[in-house]
Amino acid sequence: MMKLTRRAALAGAAMALCLAVPGGASAEETFKVGTINPYSGPLALYGGEVNRGYELAADAVNKAGGILGRQIEILKGDATNPQEGIAAVERLATRDNADAFIGTYLSAVAGAASETALNYNKLYWDTNALATNLTERGLPNYIRSGPYSVSFADVSIDLILNSLAAKLGKQPGELTVWLEHEESVYGTSIAEHQKERLEAAGVKVLGIGAHSYKSIDLTDSVLRARDANPDIWVQTGYVPDGNLLLRTARDQGFKPKATVFVGTGDTKETLEAMGADGLEGLLVVSYPRPDISEAYGPGSKAYLEAYRAKYGEDPIAPQSMAAFVGFKIMASAINKAGSAEPEAVAGVLGSFDEPLRTYETGFGAKFDDNKQNLRAFPTVIQWQGGKQITVFPDDAAGDNKMVNIGN
Amino acid sequence: MAAFLNIVIVGLLLGGIYGLVSMGLNLIFGVVRIVNFAQGELVMLGMYGAYLSWFLLGLDPYVSALVVVPCLFVLGVIIQRFVLQPLQNEPFMQIFATFGLLILFQNAVLAITRGTGYSVHSELSRIVISVGDINVNLSRLIVLATVIVVAIGANWFLHSTMYGKAVRAVTQDRRSARLMGINVELAFMLTFGVGAALAGLAGVLLAPIYTLSPQIGGNFILAAFAVVVLGGLGSVWGAFFGGFIIGLIEAFAGYYLSPELKHAIWFLVFIAVLIVRPGGLFGIAGAEEVGLREQD
Repeated sequence: MMKLTRRAALAGAAMALCLAVPGGASAEETFKVGTINPYSGPLALYGGEVNRGYELAADAVNKAGGILGRQIEILKGDATNPQEGIAAVERLATRDNADAFIGTYLSAVAGAASETALNYNKLYWDTNALATNLTERGLPNYIRSGPYSVSFADVSIDLILNSLAAKLGKQPGELTVWLEHEESVYGTSIAEHQKERLEAAGVKVLGIGAHSYKSIDLTDSVLRARDANPDIWVQTGYVPDGNLLLRTARDQGFKPKATVFVGTGDTKETLEAMGADGLEGLLVVSYPRPDISEAYGPGSKAYLEAYRAKYGEDPIAPQSMAAFVGFKIMASAINKAGSAEPEAVAGVLGSFDEPLRTYETGFGAKFDDNKQNLRAFPTVIQWQGGKQITVFPDDAAGDNKMVNIGN
Repeated sequence: MAAFLNIVIVGLLLGGIYGLVSMGLNLIFGVVRIVNFAQGELVMLGMYGAYLSWFLLGLDPYVSALVVVPCLFVLGVIIQRFVLQPLQNEPFMQIFATFGLLILFQNAVLAITRGTGYSVHSELSRIVISVGDINVNLSRLIVLATVIVVAIGANWFLHSTMYGKAVRAVTQDRRSARLMGINVELAFMLTFGVGAALAGLAGVLLAPIYTLSPQIGGNFILAAFAVVVLGGLGSVWGAFFGGFIIGLIEAFAGYYLSPELKHAIWFLVFIAVLIVRPGGLFGIAGAEEVGLREQD
């Protein structure tokens, strides 16, 4: 018995050895994508959410044959700040032989990580960072498939000119707007772009107010806007100043016909601060959500179902769907190029000419010389009964209707 | 005229917030002679204390003061006894220690909350009192009333009670106070405790106004330092009136000039006062010096 067992064990070991060799070889055959995001610390919630988008995309691409005929393997690189971004890329590029990198919503991390990836001649594909200067650097390995801060500014103006003006029964020339923004380069650059486009369309910009997002009190900002009596109040900033502005406006009885927030104000943090009643009617320019119509975002419903099936809950934030779409565009770009080399991938970008409303988020794909996707735009939600409902562009909204404008 | 009056009210309400945050800072500085960099974080802990009391016990934030303020008092006593007292003869190290506490508290809360912004609700904070064109949220009015009560109370305590007199004796000359039989260490512990409790009170009362974040203490503390130095280091009335001066300057500059310039303007006033009266408006001349004198 003993002998038999030993023989069996030996045979088993030999078999395992035989299996292990080809097994090892096939492990090397995977296409390794380093996903750079904050997975620890205070920013981890959204980092994990973005990575879920990548994982879902990898599942879908793997089903269709993978990248360069290889199955995709995701290697997480934790980066909560630029230094960690550099370290994560170095580790994944050297120790783990990552073939390409994709990441994150933190612009500072994206900047540092992409420069490090260039040192190893690796592609850095950006799906969620917003800073304009990232593409303006003209880095040979840096490609951005998602919207950036100018796209957010543009959609806020499209909303005003193409939707709100008519709802308020006014021509653009009769419309008045107050632009409020936080005072760093982020808010300032968006507000300047908004002012330029509004004035080109003949809209009267009554004033531009800048404030620190750390302000203890924003009553002065609200009173200035209130006394100017604009039709539309537009705010670009962060969560704390946005919430304080909304509270102060409520206290001071400032009720413009429409209020538009750019970038933030669509999360639970704002809902908790203001309550459903306090938010009713607020418009927020943000990433396309899975509730957009199938006509605008083909496959968005299937995405939501795949998400629920894999994670057992609804998406925590809309950023994951933009990450999902970005990963898929990256996979098709590498497959087209036949290589993950940055020059080869950059070389095929010119051949992308997919119209808007091609992908789940409503994005298309057409890249400019700085490798920025020009057909990636946010959408607009409106708070209705404590829920975020997509209401603009009209074809993204589907049957959803904008309410409470002009009351 | 209505706008002018409105801005005066806005400035006074803001001054109340600044005064309340500065009161504990100034008490600690005046008596223990420590510039407590962690004071803003104590305010932040007070805010999260209000959130926790609401979350766990369902307490209204204004009721939670009954729980949070004593907790912060105990925390203050512990900090003085186990962190600052061992460093008693090294005033610079004490300052660094408070800076260490700042980082510790901030990051501990960051780790627990993962950086999500919380909000605390009270029915009272939804009440707005309107007189003509002037609108005042009740929660801000409560802050203003509290700072007045605290200032009067602190003044009465320091001048009319035996304990208060002991604290003043320690403030003036701790060596002589010790010779008179006053327990200096105990006075320090209680003072730091009261200073922390005042920060906790400020945190609880401010919680319904703001969205809570681990870094929020820093937003208050810069202004509080300005208030304390402007009003006079170690002076109760200094923190009180300093708060109103800064609040009014900020409101007027923010409304009539530009919100971007308001901080620049109050720092200009602050520097001008320092040049003319280095001890602050209500401070004792030389107080800024004795703050770092050799301790015994």
